[in-house]
Amino acid sequence: MIFFDFDYQRAQTLEDAVALLARLQGGARALAGGTDLLPSMRMENIKPDLLVSLSAIEPGEPQMLADGSIRIDALSRLASLENSSVLRSKVPMLAQSAHVVGGNQIRQMGTLGGNLCQEIRCLYLDQKHDYQFVAPCYKRGGECCYPFPRNRPDTCWSVYMSDIAPALIALDAQVEILGETGSRCIRVEELYTGNGLEPLRLGHAELLRAVVIPPSPRGFGWGFHKSTVRGGLEFGMAVIAVSLQLAQDGKTCTDARMVIGAVREGPARPAAAERSLTGAVLDEARLAQAAAEASKEINPLPHHGFTKRHLMDNIRVYLRRTLAQAMERARSPGTAA
Amino acid sequence: MLDVTKGGKDDITVKAKSQTRLISLCVNGEWREVAVKPRNMLVEVIRDSLGLTGTKASCESGTCGACTVLLESRPVLGCITLAVECDGKRVQTVEGLADGEKLSPIQEAFLDQGAVQCGFCTPGMLMSATALLERNPKPTRQEINKALEGNLCRCTGYNSIVAAVLQASGQGGVRPVME
Repeated sequence: MIFFDFDYQRAQTLEDAVALLARLQGGARALAGGTDLLPSMRMENIKPDLLVSLSAIEPGEPQMLADGSIRIDALSRLASLENSSVLRSKVPMLAQSAHVVGGNQIRQMGTLGGNLCQEIRCLYLDQKHDYQFVAPCYKRGGECCYPFPRNRPDTCWSVYMSDIAPALIALDAQVEILGETGSRCIRVEELYTGNGLEPLRLGHAELLRAVVIPPSPRGFGWGFHKSTVRGGLEFGMAVIAVSLQLAQDGKTCTDARMVIGAVREGPARPAAAERSLTGAVLDEARLAQAAAEASKEINPLPHHGFTKRHLMDNIRVYLRRTLAQAMERARSPGTAA
Repeated sequence: MLDVTKGGKDDITVKAKSQTRLISLCVNGEWREVAVKPRNMLVEVIRDSLGLTGTKASCESGTCGACTVLLESRPVLGCITLAVECDGKRVQTVEGLADGEKLSPIQEAFLDQGAVQCGFCTPGMLMSATALLERNPKPTRQEINKALEGNLCRCTGYNSIVAAVLQASGQGGVRPVME
């Protein structure tokens, strides 16, 4: 149930949708799956005058490009990603990350683009604010922050909980963004500002059109883990995606990517810990050390009742295990893909 | 329809926002026309306009699955689906499962296994289970858990629900009646 009126238009093409969004100058929002936008509208955290529905636009199938990359339509439903045989064999990490999102109904409704553009989450923010009789927080245009009373007015320490964004960043994927002046391509990690007040580097009249994932060379291995309390139908307490690239000897690491989601305002990468693995000969002890350094470097925000200490321990343990998994996959080329 | 090429923000007037539109829905095989506002959710229209109160609205924020209906055979949450989005589409609710007085196999299995306690989650559970069995007639226990993860039940502890889905797919016996 939404408690205010708004207008609704169904766009026939993405270009039409962008034109409509541009005309409304921020008063309009694009509606894809609606699993994040409509609950936010119910809580009146977002109050658009117009919803531009993208439901008439059929998403295309994943395409193989000439250089071996895979281009995936941003309007693809999450269920179609987890069940696609092409994606399961070519980019199993993406299929796995889509598989752990929300519940079955959420995956049937939600889209890839919508998952990447979801709002940040906070226990204070995610509720109806009528009858609270307290001042609004910085994110709602007010003058305080309830979870972090000593926070500065120009930041919001809420957490960004997409399960798919960490996987895409570990895969070094790019997003194609359609705007009024045409399309542009940026790396997925550049989409996030790292400030909860404006978590996305996306104009009000810009839409994600597609995600392009580069091919995985020989010696590539991945690992993915979502830490949850119940194991289904919930946001993660930490989402961990890693990729390792091993040299021909099967021991030396030439490139390491670790991405931790759901613990900061955007997906976070421990740059120093990643560098410490590059060029190193990998073994269990080396990976354990990198995971311990990374959990300190990430400096997780306490969120949804999880303490910082708990999250650091969680990241340290599961990062070590996913790194070991990635190393295993990188060494057995049959399953690496 | 707005012309996308001209005009500005002021076109979206209060009148345009509160305007009702006629949409047609094929509910359980029967085409129905209903007047809705853009802000009306599918579950509100099904319950309040069409009078099909089998579908329950519980959390109304997409977290519990009680409002699950099948939209074009896909299980979706009626509480976070705009009714205008469903114009011209097929919707199946829990009322469409039984054939007259004869319950569907999944409904029979829920009764046999005692998978209904307070009953509030049951319509959503039945729709999710129906969608699963249509796609996968012989699901494993694990596949059933995954398919029903979007439906919360606070009474049964889920075991009897999973047993019912196993029974409906011909993979488990009827629980013996206690003497």
